[in-house]
Amino acid sequence: MSLLSVENLRVEFPSHQGPVEVVKGISFDLGRERLGIVGESGSGKSMTGRALMRLIAPPGRVTADRMVFDGQDLQTLPDKAMRRLRGARLSMVMQDPKFSLNPVMTIGHQMSEVLEFHGRQNRKQRRESVLKALRSVRIDDPERVYRQYPHEVSGGMGQRVMIAMMVILEPDLMIADEPTSALDVSVQSQVLDIMDDLIRYKGMGLILISHDLNLVSRYCDRILVMFKGRIVETCEAGQLHQATHPYTQGLLASVPVLNEHRNRLPILDRIQLGSV
Amino acid sequence: MMTVNWLMSDAPETRWQAGLGQAYRTSRALFANPLALVGLVIILGLLLVAAFAPWIAPYSPIESDLSARLLPPSAAHWMGTDELGRDIMSRIIHGSRITLYIVLLVAVISAPLGLLIGTMAGYFGGWVDRVLMGLTDIFLSMPRLIMALAFVAALGPGIENAVIAIAITAWPVYARIARAETLTFRNAEFMSAIRMQGASHARIIVRHVMPLCLSSTIVRVTLDMAGIILTAAGLGFLGLGAQPPMPEWGAMISSGRAFILDQWWVATMPGFAIVVVSLGFCLFGDGLRDVLDPRNRT
Amino acid sequence: MIDLKDVTIRYGDAAVVNNVTLSVEYGQSFALVGESGSGKSTILKVLAGQLSNWSGRIRLGEHELAHGRDKALVRLCQMVFQDPYGSLHPRKSVDAILSEPLAIHGIGQRDQRVQDAMAAVGLARKFRFRLPHQLSGGQRQRVAIARALMLDPPVLLLDEPTSALDVSVQAEVLNLLKALQEDRGLTYFMVTHDLPVVSFLCDRLAILRQGRVVEEATVDQLKQQAFRSPYGQELLSHSH
Repeated sequence: MSLLSVENLRVEFPSHQGPVEVVKGISFDLGRERLGIVGESGSGKSMTGRALMRLIAPPGRVTADRMVFDGQDLQTLPDKAMRRLRGARLSMVMQDPKFSLNPVMTIGHQMSEVLEFHGRQNRKQRRESVLKALRSVRIDDPERVYRQYPHEVSGGMGQRVMIAMMVILEPDLMIADEPTSALDVSVQSQVLDIMDDLIRYKGMGLILISHDLNLVSRYCDRILVMFKGRIVETCEAGQLHQATHPYTQGLLASVPVLNEHRNRLPILDRIQLGSV
Repeated sequence: MMTVNWLMSDAPETRWQAGLGQAYRTSRALFANPLALVGLVIILGLLLVAAFAPWIAPYSPIESDLSARLLPPSAAHWMGTDELGRDIMSRIIHGSRITLYIVLLVAVISAPLGLLIGTMAGYFGGWVDRVLMGLTDIFLSMPRLIMALAFVAALGPGIENAVIAIAITAWPVYARIARAETLTFRNAEFMSAIRMQGASHARIIVRHVMPLCLSSTIVRVTLDMAGIILTAAGLGFLGLGAQPPMPEWGAMISSGRAFILDQWWVATMPGFAIVVVSLGFCLFGDGLRDVLDPRNRT
Repeated sequence: MIDLKDVTIRYGDAAVVNNVTLSVEYGQSFALVGESGSGKSTILKVLAGQLSNWSGRIRLGEHELAHGRDKALVRLCQMVFQDPYGSLHPRKSVDAILSEPLAIHGIGQRDQRVQDAMAAVGLARKFRFRLPHQLSGGQRQRVAIARALMLDPPVLLLDEPTSALDVSVQAEVLNLLKALQEDRGLTYFMVTHDLPVVSFLCDRLAILRQGRVVEEATVDQLKQQAFRSPYGQELLSHSH
């Protein structure tokens, strides 16, 4: 049985010219695997992630024929149950750790609070779990980080803390929306490697949302390519370079490579693609 | 429909069309807010009444008629008469000119002053900021009416001095707002870009910083109008603003105070005028804030 | 065209850039590569005349860079910024943004010059009176490039000019930058962490780490992944 099953998911926002659909009916299934969603800005990839977490606030509207997570219908679940589900079984890592952490609370305190909210363990056990989670994201002196405030840690460290915070409840599915695009390249691969290890080790599902084709093909098993709110291509990560849709091909071609000999980079013909 | 499309166009072809389109969008948003519309109607009403006061007012605001003292509201005198037999409605109508004069003059003096000081403090930072903001804080820490009283006491009573006194106490708020606003973008890349193009400090402040602080200042000024009217009325009430026989609303309340129990209308009618006009500015200011203040945009 | 000799830049007591010596020839496209905190943006700020707390010597062509406000710098170099959303004044139309440098320096024929500049960066005429929020990221970056070119400077400083853009838009902007350089013989000084972009746009590069140059290389060395320093190799390994 699949972990997550989505059919005909649509997200729309009202505007002066009537409602605008940013996700136009996408369907996919996810097991305990690593799924990448790639697209450019405006493709609807982030909205898809947010819709799954039910984080789209009115006036935005989410509809789907089916949106089931491990037997639970995400559309009809009451808000309270959804809050329990979020974090405990379904969690999300956002782009910039600085905005996702509470600046006036120590990291240890925030992480313990997450455990407390989900009613697990007593105070001492909670502290142990937090330190263990920090260690699991390869933080060498978790005791110190435990006492630090978010502004006292670097970007890479902050993002590791975010991941520790997500995995502390051992969720079944993690949604990571551009988890490393605010970080330096060398730190980027470090953070992603840590995330990847945890996911494999704990057997979680992962949805990695990114604009970076190479990154997604490296860390995922399967890739969905989104363009203007639709999935235009689905492929195995290893076969990305045999992609058939002109958008995917165009996207791949327009990225410069280390050994670049082209005098001009090919440009996507958006008008022509719009009609595909 | 053609014109609406032309105005709402995402691709204006001339400076004119772009400007008009922007104005159209703003006014459309404003008209969608009923309370702001009420405020606008009140303000327009005040403007019209002030403009046509001599033609609207049924009686002279100054000539007294002692045979008609303290008459209650009636068909002849809609708002009654005061202790010298003057028609209260006529006085309120003429008084609107004084109110408007005070409000506009205060706005014209204090808003640009506050804007200039605030943007300079925010833009230059360092010791300029410390000196200017220290000055602002000193003015800000004193209660407005007391300050105004002190100034009027020093300069002598009269409308002009009341205006100067109120303006001097009104600018610090605008300076604070403008400085805070300036700080949010002083390190933005577009500021670096304009500096790199060799623009002088004066040019940057006037043409690039001020336009960004303007809308929050306008909103604040509109919201402050009520306070200015009340301060002016307060000064008038204490006998330090407009001098008799000028039909200033605050002074009218003051003179009606003696009869408040038996001839309630003498003090109540000008009080009512103050409340309505203050409310008008408040409502309009609130609406304007919703439209202009980018922080409220979703 | 650009010569830095023993340049040290300090913030308070800490030197963020240490004894950097670099030289870029006329018409060359040079990249300064490094991660955040390496000091690459600080060097760019000094070249842009935005910082005065540096020591050493910097020359742009014949001009010796002054510490502090340097009026001659305006005509010598201009900058294209990283964030297309933050680099344009939010209340000014494309027309106003492009006219401003002309107005500051009292240059005439503004209408014609604005139109020419827009054509040069591939912006259609219909965009002329739009505000920045009515433009896409790529269009904004084109406006920023046009603005930098309004005063015809020989040197363009590029601060990660495409890192905030989608890859397909990045390709358009990179093509534009390359074409402009070929047409006008501009000298580029780019700061970036993206080695493939360097490979496409630049002739030479220097790798900066913790305020020091660890390696200078030609773009051919980059293409063959033949950096000598271990840190250079490490950067290569991260750039898939």
